[in-house]
Amino acid sequence: MKYIFVSLILVFPACNPSAEEVTVYTSVDQIFSEPVLKDFERETGIKVKAVYDTEETKSTGVMNRLIAEKDNPQCDVFWSGDPIRNGVLQSKGITEPYQSEQTKQIPEYFKEPDNQWIGFSARARVLIYNKNLIAPDSLPESIFDFTRPRFKGKFAVANPLFGTTTFHMAAIFTALGDEKAKAWMNALKENGVVIAASNGDVKKRVMNGELAFGLTDTDDAFEAKKESDEVDYIFLDQQERGIGTLIMPNAVSLIKNAPHDENGKKLINYLLSRETEAKLAVSCAQMPLIKGTEIPGVPSLDNIKAMKIDYKQTSEKLEGIQPWLKAWIEE
Amino acid sequence: MDRRVSAYIIRFVPLLLLFILLALPLLLLLLQWLTGTDSTVLFSFIDRGTLWLIGRSLWLSFIVALLATCIGTACGFLLYKFNFPFNKFYRLALLLPLLISPYIFAVAWKDGLFWFFGNTAAVYSEAGVVMVHAFVYFPLAMLITGSALSQIHSGYEEAGLMVVSFRKMFVKIIFPLIRPALTTSFVLILIFSLSDFSVPAFFGVRTFTTEIFTQFSALYDLPMAIGQSVLLLLVCLLLMLTEHRYLSDAPFFSVSTKGSISKKYDVEKRQILWHGIFWLLLIVALLIPVSILIIQSLGGKTLFFSQAWELVWPAAVQSIKLATIGALLITALGLWTAYEKERRSHRLPNALLLLTFIVPSTVLGIALIRYYNFPVLNFIYGTAVILLIAYTAKFGFIASRITGNSIKQIPVSLGEAASVMGISSQKIFLKIHLPLMLPSLFTTFVLSFILCLGELGATVMVYPPGMELMPVKTFTISANAPQALTSSMTLINLGVTTVLLLLFFIIGKYVFKKYRYA
Repeated sequence: MKYIFVSLILVFPACNPSAEEVTVYTSVDQIFSEPVLKDFERETGIKVKAVYDTEETKSTGVMNRLIAEKDNPQCDVFWSGDPIRNGVLQSKGITEPYQSEQTKQIPEYFKEPDNQWIGFSARARVLIYNKNLIAPDSLPESIFDFTRPRFKGKFAVANPLFGTTTFHMAAIFTALGDEKAKAWMNALKENGVVIAASNGDVKKRVMNGELAFGLTDTDDAFEAKKESDEVDYIFLDQQERGIGTLIMPNAVSLIKNAPHDENGKKLINYLLSRETEAKLAVSCAQMPLIKGTEIPGVPSLDNIKAMKIDYKQTSEKLEGIQPWLKAWIEE
Repeated sequence: MDRRVSAYIIRFVPLLLLFILLALPLLLLLLQWLTGTDSTVLFSFIDRGTLWLIGRSLWLSFIVALLATCIGTACGFLLYKFNFPFNKFYRLALLLPLLISPYIFAVAWKDGLFWFFGNTAAVYSEAGVVMVHAFVYFPLAMLITGSALSQIHSGYEEAGLMVVSFRKMFVKIIFPLIRPALTTSFVLILIFSLSDFSVPAFFGVRTFTTEIFTQFSALYDLPMAIGQSVLLLLVCLLLMLTEHRYLSDAPFFSVSTKGSISKKYDVEKRQILWHGIFWLLLIVALLIPVSILIIQSLGGKTLFFSQAWELVWPAAVQSIKLATIGALLITALGLWTAYEKERRSHRLPNALLLLTFIVPSTVLGIALIRYYNFPVLNFIYGTAVILLIAYTAKFGFIASRITGNSIKQIPVSLGEAASVMGISSQKIFLKIHLPLMLPSLFTTFVLSFILCLGELGATVMVYPPGMELMPVKTFTISANAPQALTSSMTLINLGVTTVLLLLFFIIGKYVFKKYRYA
């Protein structure tokens, strides 16, 4: 009996309620988000209780959990790798606006107009390639080059129903219009595009030499370069008349009726700080949004031609094209 | 009168608790779906496309179940009916693929094929799904049919061998006796394969489960996802009820012979061929994926084992503690429900566990969140108790089946004789039935422990914020971490589970020696 009692005490550490805590749900890869949250805990003394998930597995856990917990939220802050998921939560009335001195540092372009989500530290869509399989001067310069016959069957994109690829496709649909975007996607299919399970899968297949190149995010490409000397990455559509590359900020939202509202706000301010952006730049090459935060070796937004998009409009477009994207995959 | 009241309390209070804690959340979710969804779209998911997808998924799972049952039965037959060197080693080693997550298996196999042949196109297909599922699930068939084979009374076989050849005796006596076990393993593997999302999604094969996942994760269409889950649930329920109705007497999953000594044969010829076959199976099902993980873990620019250990260890300790309590609870629940069913013809508790067993993990997670996420229930939802409830819901049925089959083997006459002597039913249970069931309860505990330790689908939906658990940590860290770190973490995960399994075997040996009469 004594042993059972001791075991129960050891197993249920979560039973001790503490006011000085904050609960964060994040779909940013734990390998990058956990060190930032640990630093916050150390610097403020506020205990961080985190629930991690990952884009790699489509964030099913935290997203469905946030939606199901709507009437009695357990979470204070949702930290996502892109604003799409925050947009979904906003449309379901799960987030609430938050304004502070810190949020004002972020350019308006990277915030939801009502501050339902605020962006920081951005990633970009890039082309990752295997140097053994394709020479740098033979690479496509634009996503539209992917349909050229010489690249037939040599490249991959992740499943466009999930993760940042969804966002990318929605941005392309917004920029080109539905008809042209559909024609381009159909041409991709005719040219033997490999639909990978995730961006991580694209990275791995290119690293292994299974495919010559693929579309992925800067953090995946950065990790791949650290792991292998055989891969490198480039930004696409950087020509004068090019549509530019998609920039995807991290997005943080305050949850409506959050149980630790004040601590949630402190965490948001911490995430939106120059220091956090610098940490994320060093750990996973995320590009700071606050002006003047320069990190050697990390691309600067000033030097990249970005795709001109309206994040809200893109989110709305996404909902409209999802059935078509689903059919495109299943065909 | 008092005795009757206490008997009612013993019988119905646990049933009420089982219903309130496990079944009601699912029933309420179903009710919410039925009443909260527009009636015009309620059953809109039932169309030709959906039915075609279900048919295709069933066909794929049917092939998996057939292959896995054939391989597992052949192994079970050779390992449980014949004496030859290293027999016990093969029995243990061939169980290990069960401890590897199907997803890890798929990734490792794909990488292996690429290294060997430079091309992976063949594996990104239905064939890839069938291959991975068959190799992951065949140990289950081996365990089920092997245990059934070891319980066939030697008298039947000896009588048969006096008049007919071994082959004819096998076809006419052994095969009919293990047929229920074959069907049980076939149906269980079919359900496991049908419910797995990770492998078809990785190989880009569209199945009904990937369709449900897409509705949940890409389209956030909860009513559609729940509707499709209900359909999947009905299919699984139909399969399980068929098995339950016609074949529930299958004598499987027991570690004790209860006095009936099974006949074992000595292998005189072709020993090398047998070893060759087992090693081939071990290489394909275990050594290739594990070797690939080892190569990957050593293949990075730096060694990640110590970092992986630092990351996994705290989560492993917490997971082991939780899995221990979960397995104890599940074993106790399995014992109660099985005893009620087999000795008191009270089938409802077992039926409730069947319902929670076949519900997809994401649906179970959402049902638990909706039911338990209230401020007054925070002592459940905000703590590890919610995980224990999820584990019990997921694995209670398996525990009940294992224990139930053990109870069936205890002659009713033992209890009746004691009863005639005036011994109370509680004493009969404690002094006669419980000691005889001890080996099976131990098996139930070990299996439940392993299942709880690796459970991810429901865990990731409900684990309390701030809690670190081994499968969740391995899964979330794996994304975007260097391949060498991911592989190192998976190997540590596998190593921890294997060490614990060995430890349980050693404890089991000691316990069975102590309780030799059992």
